[in-house]
Amino acid sequence: MTSSHPLIELKHLHKSYFNGDMETPVLYDVNLVIHKGEFVSIMGPSGSGKSTLMHILGFLDTPTKGTFLLQGKSAGTMDDDALAAVRATRVSFVFQAFNLLPRTTVLQNVMLPLLYHPTIPDAERLARSQKAIDLVGLTERAQYLTNQLSGGQQQRVAIARALVTSPDIIFADEPTGNLDSASGGLVMATLQKLHKEGHTIILVTHERRTAEHAERIIHILDGKIQSDSKDFKRILAGTSSLLK
Amino acid sequence: MLFRDTFSIALRAINTNKSRSLLTMLGIIIGVGSVTLMTSIGQSAESLILDQVSTLGAKSMVIFPSSLEQSNGIDQRSGFDALTFEDLTALERLSTIETIAPVIFVSSDVTYGREESSPQILGSTPEFFENQSIAIQEGRLFDQSDEDGTRFVATIGPDVVKDLFGDQNPVGRSIKIKEQSFAVIGVTKAIGSQFFQNVDDRIYIPFSTAKVVSGQKYVSYMTMQATDDTDVAMEDIKLLLRKRHSIKNPEDDPQKDDFIVRTAAQATDILGTVSLVLTLFLSAIAGISLVVGGIGIMNIMLVAVSERTREIGLRKAVGARKRDILLQFLIEAMMLTLIGGLIGIISGLLFAFLIFAVASKFIGGYIFAVSIPATILAVVMATTVGLVFGIYPARRAAELNPIEALRYE
Repeated sequence: MTSSHPLIELKHLHKSYFNGDMETPVLYDVNLVIHKGEFVSIMGPSGSGKSTLMHILGFLDTPTKGTFLLQGKSAGTMDDDALAAVRATRVSFVFQAFNLLPRTTVLQNVMLPLLYHPTIPDAERLARSQKAIDLVGLTERAQYLTNQLSGGQQQRVAIARALVTSPDIIFADEPTGNLDSASGGLVMATLQKLHKEGHTIILVTHERRTAEHAERIIHILDGKIQSDSKDFKRILAGTSSLLK
Repeated sequence: MLFRDTFSIALRAINTNKSRSLLTMLGIIIGVGSVTLMTSIGQSAESLILDQVSTLGAKSMVIFPSSLEQSNGIDQRSGFDALTFEDLTALERLSTIETIAPVIFVSSDVTYGREESSPQILGSTPEFFENQSIAIQEGRLFDQSDEDGTRFVATIGPDVVKDLFGDQNPVGRSIKIKEQSFAVIGVTKAIGSQFFQNVDDRIYIPFSTAKVVSGQKYVSYMTMQATDDTDVAMEDIKLLLRKRHSIKNPEDDPQKDDFIVRTAAQATDILGTVSLVLTLFLSAIAGISLVVGGIGIMNIMLVAVSERTREIGLRKAVGARKRDILLQFLIEAMMLTLIGGLIGIISGLLFAFLIFAVASKFIGGYIFAVSIPATILAVVMATTVGLVFGIYPARRAAELNPIEALRYE
């Protein structure tokens, strides 16, 4: 289990968007270390750069400058195919808007990421998907179409889909943003359960109440890390993922 | 991503929007359908022609008078009176011609009691039946003694029998041509059409009788059988007729002659070329409709890409590479055109068969034929249309930025 390298290490990371000659900096000198098994919240108002940070960490985007190490290996320069390969195997996402395929069953939705793992045989695809569905408590509804489910159930399908590839990191981007508080609570409980089972979860949100489900909260403002409540939270929780 | 998975995703997408998919396919269905129909008709015409050549025989030849217009400002003999009876006598002496049968067209209505009909009336010699493979069904064909005796006898085609006599037996009855009574001595066997002429709607009378009845001083045309090689016979005929008509034509320019010699093989070639050109022309038009159909496919695929932008974003987020997305949309477009193509072939053949069923009622001997290479070509063309017109939308999908695609509303 122990790795000499942290799961994620960012050193002096910059990200700017270019519009012609105009440079718009979004992230500015970000330094961050996240270890395996952590449950981290990235908090900030809209426009703070928290989504951009998540996109870079999730290999949907690349940094402009700086170092991004994934388990000690540089992830700075990758082409589209290499990024796709990392996304297929090491990271997965839970989105605010669920992003499930409509008119498609729960099982097929959960199985979707495995389509991009052609080496996995059919039987294993099915077994893995079933397991992921069991884990989020939707065993009975595997054959339902996604539009027959409530918002909270749909988001749990999305979580199952995120789990099915056994990724290193699960990103949740405002996962409760479209849900009422009861369903949202259930979704957060599911995420905490996964965390307890050893999954690394990075939660992006602007709501403090949601962020507080994590053991560590990183505040971002205007592209810079304002505070990192790692030590406080960890001491409070009485566990240290650093010591794992 | 496995090809099988890509395939089933494409099928599901087509199935989800059934009516839209069908409407999109319509262009392809019509395009491929018309290609199939046209080539099938072309193929039928071709087999028909080949079929007729075999009934005529390869040594069969025809001479027509050619109506010459002005040439070098001097009026030359024009109209249909170029071939005289003296020409006929001279031609009969040629050793390269086995048999020769002159024909005079008699233009007249034919009556039997109150019944009236206007078939083609041919005055010819008994050799004509041999040259044209015309056989008897009832009674007899007229013979040399009828010809020598200038007898007023007629052998009639089965369609004429139908028109004038209905179900009665015509043999022994009397019909009127140009106010003259002719005894019906026989009925020819049904042949159908020869080179698009209905041979069954004809009346044959002896050549000598036709001369008298029509008062014509020239031969309408002549059919003949070459002794051996038709090309040699053709040369002989040309030389003889040019000499007799005082035509200097060493360049063998058909424009200068006042007659045309054709062999059956030539006629076949010409008809074959005409049918080929026609088939190509119609297929080209059908091909244009395929292109139009392809534009429809491109249009609907662009709509599909923009509708499914979030799905594309999601697929990319879970690890789909550009080529996975490209392939997915390309296969979808190709499936649309392939299914459309198959429907098109089936409907094209159905139409061709319908036309065949109707046409065979009017002109006998119409053959229903399917051009297998053309059918395969149509499918390949349809799929290619899908590939060509699907590539742009598919590339658009593949190039989408995953972050923007996921946010797309």
